[in-house]
Amino acid sequence: MDAFLLWFDEFWAVYSNLILTLGINALLALSIWLTLACGLLALANAAFMGIGAYAGALATMNYDSPFALSLVVAMAAPSLVALAIGVPVLRLGGVYLAMATLGFGEVVRVVILNTESITGGALGLNGIPQQTQWWHVALALAIVVFMLARLHRSKTGRAFEAIKVDETAAGLMGIDLRAHKLLAFVLGAAIAGLAGALNAHLTFFIGPQEYGFDRGVEILTMAILGGIGSLIGPVIGAFFLTLLPELLRGLADFRLIVNGLILVSVVLFLPNGLWDPARIRNWFGARR
Amino acid sequence: MQFMRSAIVALAIGASTVASQAAEVKLGVAAALSGLAAQYGAAIRNGFELAAEEINAAGGVNGNTIKLVVEDEQGKKEEAINVYKKLIFQDKVLLIFGPTLSNSASAANPIAQAAKAPVFGTSNTADGITAVGNYIFRNSVTEADVLPVTLKTVVEKEGVKKVAVLYGNDDVFTKSGYDNFAKALKDQNIPVTTTETFAKGDVDFKAQLTKIKASGPDAIVLSALLAEGAPILVQARQLGIDLPFVGGNGVNSVKIFELAKGASDNLWVGSPWSASNDTPENKKFIEAYTKKFGLAPDQFAAQTYDALHIVAEALKKVQLSGDIAKDRAALRDALPDVSWTGVTGPFKFRQAVDKSGKPAGYDADQQPIVSVTKDGAYQIVK
Amino acid sequence: MLAQQLVNALSLGSVYALFALGFTLIFGVLGVINLAHGAVFMVGAYAALQAVVLAGLPIWAALIVAFLVSGLFGLVIDILVLSPLRKRHAPHLIPMIATIGVAIVLNSAVQGIFGADNLRFPPGVVPDEAIEAGGLHITAVEIGIILLTFAIMVLLLLGLRRTSIGKALRAVAESPKAAALLGIDVEGLLRKTSFLAAALGGAAGVMISLYSNAVYPLMGQPMLHKGIAVIILGGMGDIRGALIGGLFLGFAEVFAVAYIGSTMRDAVAFGLLFLILLVRPTGLFGKASERKA
Repeated sequence: MDAFLLWFDEFWAVYSNLILTLGINALLALSIWLTLACGLLALANAAFMGIGAYAGALATMNYDSPFALSLVVAMAAPSLVALAIGVPVLRLGGVYLAMATLGFGEVVRVVILNTESITGGALGLNGIPQQTQWWHVALALAIVVFMLARLHRSKTGRAFEAIKVDETAAGLMGIDLRAHKLLAFVLGAAIAGLAGALNAHLTFFIGPQEYGFDRGVEILTMAILGGIGSLIGPVIGAFFLTLLPELLRGLADFRLIVNGLILVSVVLFLPNGLWDPARIRNWFGARR
Repeated sequence: MQFMRSAIVALAIGASTVASQAAEVKLGVAAALSGLAAQYGAAIRNGFELAAEEINAAGGVNGNTIKLVVEDEQGKKEEAINVYKKLIFQDKVLLIFGPTLSNSASAANPIAQAAKAPVFGTSNTADGITAVGNYIFRNSVTEADVLPVTLKTVVEKEGVKKVAVLYGNDDVFTKSGYDNFAKALKDQNIPVTTTETFAKGDVDFKAQLTKIKASGPDAIVLSALLAEGAPILVQARQLGIDLPFVGGNGVNSVKIFELAKGASDNLWVGSPWSASNDTPENKKFIEAYTKKFGLAPDQFAAQTYDALHIVAEALKKVQLSGDIAKDRAALRDALPDVSWTGVTGPFKFRQAVDKSGKPAGYDADQQPIVSVTKDGAYQIVK
Repeated sequence: MLAQQLVNALSLGSVYALFALGFTLIFGVLGVINLAHGAVFMVGAYAALQAVVLAGLPIWAALIVAFLVSGLFGLVIDILVLSPLRKRHAPHLIPMIATIGVAIVLNSAVQGIFGADNLRFPPGVVPDEAIEAGGLHITAVEIGIILLTFAIMVLLLLGLRRTSIGKALRAVAESPKAAALLGIDVEGLLRKTSFLAAALGGAAGVMISLYSNAVYPLMGQPMLHKGIAVIILGGMGDIRGALIGGLFLGFAEVFAVAYIGSTMRDAVAFGLLFLILLVRPTGLFGKASERKA
């Protein structure tokens, strides 16, 4: 037992940051799952994460707010922004919504760069107190998964599903399209903001480059790779994409090449993502 | 599994007692070997490898050979933290060199400080890196020390009255360079005709340069990395701008002569290292580096090369006990007193202070050399 | 200053349009946002660089090499990745994510082979000196880019309208199913499109790296971001739109620098993009009905 504890201490010392990052990335993947589940291809989650990270970190650093309050601020700030831009932007459909939200992300990045007195500009915010504990991330993930599962099964969740399958039909059935889309967008922003603040209070430092195009695409990739058929998919996708580069560390210079090949292979050979209940049932079915 | 572990531990203990005269000293290198900062990471790795090879060939440090554990941190903060944790807790290195970018250093260095593992930065020039604590060292001279000297030299030699400023505003390195230039310009009462910015990855700078030309400066102050700095020089000359450029660390590389061929003259830079500095140490270094890697060294390689020698000097005074915590503390205690004349000239540490003014880590205390480019070479300005 | 800025804007706009031509072609016909287009663009630049440095070819021949090599890459990507996804009717997001993987593979492979350092074409492969006329400065490469961009666009438009392949292509872009019923070899056409789009990307890579004097493994990423902006502005999948969008972005950026301030350049460019989408949800040139990609 002592040997195990010793082993665990060492394991935790090396991998605690990675494990907490798993949880935070899972939150991010869930944040985009929510909009995807409503049929919206919105790619503003990286920007919302950034707004949350900055809002939370500034609350902690400049106003000595307790961690819990900082997290609330980090969820509220992107939600308000989402509410404001959601009304005009959500009129757009398909790829155009994706592009408009990417454009919005660029605007957020430029605003952070240009409000140097508050955000530190390109230099970022330094010396953020490390307050995120493992159980904060675990609890946040548990609550978000629980709430999303409840939501998924509720009347609202069924309305999301209806909008995703056929927007026109859903509208004809009397579902308020605008209100439901806006709800998914705003809730997604809140979750992304929460993830941003948890990350900011883990890594001592945040900078505007972290919330750009690449992060946005990464978040989307985690959700799609995992599979958006259920809540488990995005979580698995986040774990997979976060762990993959670490597992491949031994490959040194070939690591990124293999990383890319695996990404392509998953897309090619697992049509519904990594987590696909139907496929798993099939495997067991075949054995019987 | 547990059995295997204890067996390995027993073996390791056995080995360390038997081979107490000729052990391995493990030093970590966290460098950006992939991603956008990879070109700096490559030079950094080369500098370390060359220095380690030379030290080991000469019998190592007190008979111990130096073993580098090199990890890729991709220029990302999360990766830098992961790599630090692996190096500190799993590989149990005595000291970590790195990471390549100041951003990553801001995120990862507190981890090392808390674990009481020394960190030695060779390329982090941003302010506040060494404010984290007394385990943080660097030999990269901050631009706050260099740029005022460069600027003053240009003003004296070229009779510059007013300048235009051009910098990358989305990058820590170039932005922090700009901040230091702005402060120096203010301190030296030099008026600025216009201040323009660009972003990483831009291919066109003519809009900014046209505006600068119209504002009528005597010189252009440039805070850029090589990737943008070289095209800026070329495009400026194409627009008929023949003014002197005053640059920072980012454009201090012999690669500028290749990348901006035909347009690289009249660029003024200051740095402790210059390719044209013909001290015996530097000549030997440039020759060995060029032979080993088939390309000319840059400032980053020079600084890492010296960094490993500085650490080796400190290690000479440390009696390694095999207890990693004790050895790290001993190395930390030995480092501040090292003085070393390397390829970047005479070097010693200067203690930095943290935000509240208390003593913290250690910065480099070195004299910059100002050079100007002419006909594809740096000429040292006396 | 205004005259020079107009010249600057025209050449920057053409740079963006040149990159966007292949990008928009593949979106228009295949319905794929090809995030590997930046990587193929980069491969073209490296291929031409090797042709010039190792084989000593003149730049026009290197341009053809780049065109063919990148085209081949496009073809291979289509056969290995895009075609299987088409066959199982994957939703349009899926190929986009696959192309991210392709981009990672190409970027890291090129970095592994050639290193991460910036490279450039040897001086003198094109005249470096700018031509000066009436106080205006313009280089041969800039003139080349402007001419090439317009030439490719005209050829593409004529090809699409006048040739039988072009007509078939338009039929496919409209409805692959209907085109197949008409006896068109849809699969073969889509492969040709992938080849052509990538080949154009490769040629753009050569011209733009001559312009910026920089060849490096990740050179395609920043262009990709601009390329996305361009094809939205112009209306996605529209050839003329790529030119209009490119010029629009080029002028917006240059004039933001000249009259508003360079720190606001990207905010102005992307802010405009954002606004245009709100006013005209399918871009300046987009069709009124939205494409079901």
